[in-house]
Amino acid sequence: MIKKQRLLLPILDIITLGIWGILLIQYWVSGELQLLIHPNYFALVLGTGILLLVLAVLKAIQVISQLPPRNPKTMPMMQHISWFPPGWSTGLLLATAILGLLVEPKVFTSQIAIQRGVMESLTATRTQPQSFRSLSKPEARSLIEWIRTLSVYPEPDEYAGQAVNVKGFVVYPQNLSSNYLLVTRFVITCCAADAYPVSLPVKLPESRNAYKPDTWIQVKGTMMTETLQDKRQLVIDASEIETVPEPDNPYYY
Amino acid sequence: MSQLNNAFTLFLSLLVEAMPFLLIGVLFSGLLLLFVDEERLIASLPKNPFLGAVIGSCAGFFFPVCECGNVPVSRRLLLQGAPVSVSIGFLLAAPTINPIVIWSTWVAFRDQPEIVVLRVLFSLGIAIIIGWVFSVQKDLRPLLQQTVTRSMVIPREQTVKPSPQQEPEPALLQSGTFLLGQPGTPLRMDAAVLQASLAATPARKPWSDRWRLFLDNTVQELRELGAVLIIGSAIAATIQVAVPREIILSLGSGPVTSILAMMLLAAVVSICSTVDSFFALAFASTFTSGSLLAFLVFGPMIDIKAIGLMFSVFKARTIFYLFALAAQLTFLLTLMVNLHLS
Repeated sequence: MIKKQRLLLPILDIITLGIWGILLIQYWVSGELQLLIHPNYFALVLGTGILLLVLAVLKAIQVISQLPPRNPKTMPMMQHISWFPPGWSTGLLLATAILGLLVEPKVFTSQIAIQRGVMESLTATRTQPQSFRSLSKPEARSLIEWIRTLSVYPEPDEYAGQAVNVKGFVVYPQNLSSNYLLVTRFVITCCAADAYPVSLPVKLPESRNAYKPDTWIQVKGTMMTETLQDKRQLVIDASEIETVPEPDNPYYY
Repeated sequence: MSQLNNAFTLFLSLLVEAMPFLLIGVLFSGLLLLFVDEERLIASLPKNPFLGAVIGSCAGFFFPVCECGNVPVSRRLLLQGAPVSVSIGFLLAAPTINPIVIWSTWVAFRDQPEIVVLRVLFSLGIAIIIGWVFSVQKDLRPLLQQTVTRSMVIPREQTVKPSPQQEPEPALLQSGTFLLGQPGTPLRMDAAVLQASLAATPARKPWSDRWRLFLDNTVQELRELGAVLIIGSAIAATIQVAVPREIILSLGSGPVTSILAMMLLAAVVSICSTVDSFFALAFASTFTSGSLLAFLVFGPMIDIKAIGLMFSVFKARTIFYLFALAAQLTFLLTLMVNLHLS
């Protein structure tokens, strides 16, 4: 009985390490990793997954080689101060890893965009612009390039009349009339926890009802300046809106 | 349901990002514990209180441990007779002033390098000041738990005469649980001694044992800290999804309330310093920079998890002093940032 108990915890440890390793590697294989963190850290996560598997194997070898009880001379030379009762921390880690394998990470939706202040990003982006390239063709700018351009030179009149062609998902702004929508994308600087939305308002010739929130659209049109909610803003005057499938990689980095 | 799913995605992303850093921290601390000769290190420490505080605070560079690792190490320093200023400086600064934490802060706050720089400067400053203050108390024993004072090496240069009950007793006359393993050297089975033996033993152990110790240490730390990380991430994800944005915004934009809120959060969440910057990042869009700094500076020094560990070394009174000093200094410095820098 005692022997069984002594074995149970190490075996749980091995399983936990192994499943965490598999989880991290599986995220990388399936490409779900891009929904969770910035591509800069893919290698780091993959390496961690492999290392965790290696640790699980090493620990397994150790447990197997120690099956006959060893003499007390090699008994614990150290003990980590535990914050949890024995087995709890392993259980927590194990449960999380299994949940991670079962539940797919989700692409953020308009709900999160509204919660994270999609309207505020209209005038000011949270981060300082990381790169600035002045593209000769405005219609080649992506949504994030528009936002970065704007944050460097925020005068909307400067861009009036320029051609636009951007892709994003639909968010209904809370305080605008029904022929406006926001074409939105999330930007990730590090991991999904810090994802923040960037968006541009789109003025439709008709009601926005044809485009439900979270639908992905390709918007073509020209830029114009309008005063929305007492702020002069750059607005896309849409000439053509097309529903498109969600891109493989919905986030900007 | 979708809220739950969002929260879970957030939770996973925090974990996936933090896991590599946790693993690196654990491996690094294990390797150094096995290969660095602490005794020689302590012998070369300066006796001047201010210098000692500076050296102790910077020593974290050579012991990259988070706040779960620094308490055992600084206890070992105290036990082996290192100056007070060094031990306290190390206790407070080591979780922040080390390459892994600085790197992970840099990774998280690439956009705001000032956070990285100020985090290092403030942590160093506070640790040095408190280390200096504590060095006024030449004999630290009244501030320590009995189990620690009993096995303490009395510094050679100290003029304080050891009182009778503190004279070294034969190990077997002391209370506690013992393991009679090696002949002549009974192992006392309490945490203080076990922790202290960690660094002392490996140097004389054969390689196979050293590796076994290393592996055990890695798995154990990973398990313990991983669990704490999971709880921290779950809280962070829940707050992000469940708490209405207006409340967070109103709390997070006030120069004073935001700092207090983040300091409280830091103490409650007890997240490991190797990964706390990712946690703080989740608040970066809504909270003032000063409050993020307060979280990053105060959290590693004192949090609920670390207090549990600190009670194994210090008396309650000492922990209160440390707590109060660190909290006030953090508050003042970060308020300065909020009012003058941003």
